[in-house]
Amino acid sequence: MYGFEALTFNVHGGYLEAIVRGYRSGLLTAADYNNLCQCESLEDIKMHLSATEYGPYLQNEPSPLHTTTIVEKCTLKLVDEYKQMLCQATEPLSTFLEYITYGHMIDNVVLIVTGTLHERDVQELLEKCHPLGMFDSIATLAVAQNMRELYRLVLVDTPLAPYFSECITSEDLDDMNIEIMRNTLYKAYLQDFYRFCQKLGGATSEIMSDILAFEADRRAVNITINSIGTELTRDDRRKLYSNFGLLYPYGHEELAISEDIDQVRGVMEKYPPYQSIFSKLSYGESQMLDKAFYEEEVKRLCLAFEQQFHYGVFFAYMRLREQEIRNLMWISECVAQNQKSRVHDSVVFIF
Amino acid sequence: MESSKNGRESNEEISEKDENILSFLDSMDTYLTLMDSLSSTLRQGWLELASARHSMGASRINSTLLDLKFHRASTTLQVNEQSAGPDRELPHFTLRKWASSNNPEKNFEEAKFGEDELLKIKSNSLRRRDTSQSSEIQARSPESVGTPVSVDDLAQRERSKSLSMFGTLVSPKLRASQVSFETGTVATLFI
Repeated sequence: MYGFEALTFNVHGGYLEAIVRGYRSGLLTAADYNNLCQCESLEDIKMHLSATEYGPYLQNEPSPLHTTTIVEKCTLKLVDEYKQMLCQATEPLSTFLEYITYGHMIDNVVLIVTGTLHERDVQELLEKCHPLGMFDSIATLAVAQNMRELYRLVLVDTPLAPYFSECITSEDLDDMNIEIMRNTLYKAYLQDFYRFCQKLGGATSEIMSDILAFEADRRAVNITINSIGTELTRDDRRKLYSNFGLLYPYGHEELAISEDIDQVRGVMEKYPPYQSIFSKLSYGESQMLDKAFYEEEVKRLCLAFEQQFHYGVFFAYMRLREQEIRNLMWISECVAQNQKSRVHDSVVFIF
Repeated sequence: MESSKNGRESNEEISEKDENILSFLDSMDTYLTLMDSLSSTLRQGWLELASARHSMGASRINSTLLDLKFHRASTTLQVNEQSAGPDRELPHFTLRKWASSNNPEKNFEEAKFGEDELLKIKSNSLRRRDTSQSSEIQARSPESVGTPVSVDDLAQRERSKSLSMFGTLVSPKLRASQVSFETGTVATLFI
């Protein structure tokens, strides 16, 4: 029953909640970002990061450094922490933690399939896959010619199998079909994760429902904006929206027929939680929309730590680390390209 | 009489040399302005690409997704020598942008310039140092296809096609990056 988690949560989840709260205290602060933003080179960034928890992962990297190397090593730290938590988790927390990685699994599947379509070497593609989304038979994806084969040969034995029912066709894989497959899989995954959290009940359900609903709404907006001026029809666009969230169903109907960013703004401003996001943007502009959405997401993720005895803290921590890695990537790119004046365009402070 | 004739000739020589020097300095100024503009455009393009990568994720924008299959170049530059009088040939540039991959003979944005015209366009539009992006070559004669609106639509379609290796639903930042590099290509032609 909701409200009585304090009696039983710590039996199985107390240790790992303490661990994840400890990990959270290692996130970079505003002072760290100020130091990083003043770096003159990637070596300076490496030097500043050596004083943080990323130190051991970067210390042996030879010069010259690349931005992709910094991102890879920081991601390795996240992967190590995730694996440490997963190996100690019991049900249902272990299933919850696995759900967090399914998004990366979908990205990896699409990367392999797209790269194979473009006649790239499989080993090269595997090196670019996200480590959190790896599974045993991932390399076999390269032999599939259509989605039916993709499912039958490889994905039937993976956690993504249930999500394929909506997009199995015998059509050959091409760029449009792959894009629709990506978004259909992600939609099915989000809905499944949402149902799972609802079944868990209690504070986990309350907090995760809010975070996942925001994710679904953000996806709907991004799909709309990215499909403006493309060959994606309105019906196809509507089919890619999730069946939950604040915008479901009326907001989705209006977004499906939007043809420019101002119409999208008109739809979103009817919903009070999103008015503050779009009030930061000027008319016709969409460049800062990503940052505005990330800031809102970080706010909600930080709030998850204000309550105890729920699994939302694990999801929030993973997402906050990913945001931190995005920040480091952006700072590194601005420093490498000698564009430090633009560094605050996309950095989102977490604390 | 002879000395005044010699004086007039030397004045003419001096004035011709002055003109040559002025013309050279003019060209240098134009060249430096163009280089500045190109550098700024390319910096903008690279930053927009990084921004798109930040927005869409590293797995969606990386070099392993580039298409290794054979395909026609969508933008080509042809240089011909054309006669501009007795004992004089000038290079003539033809830039074809966004040629359809289905019908390569159909050029949706074509601009033809002789060297003299290029110099005139440069000196008129790029006299002042300007770090903003240089303007694209406008299609002077849309002789290849119907109305300008259809040219834009088809060019836009070809642009989307070339970005499809990163997916069909890409961020506006990636499209902006593409436009920046396209502008840089045109600026390179001027240089």
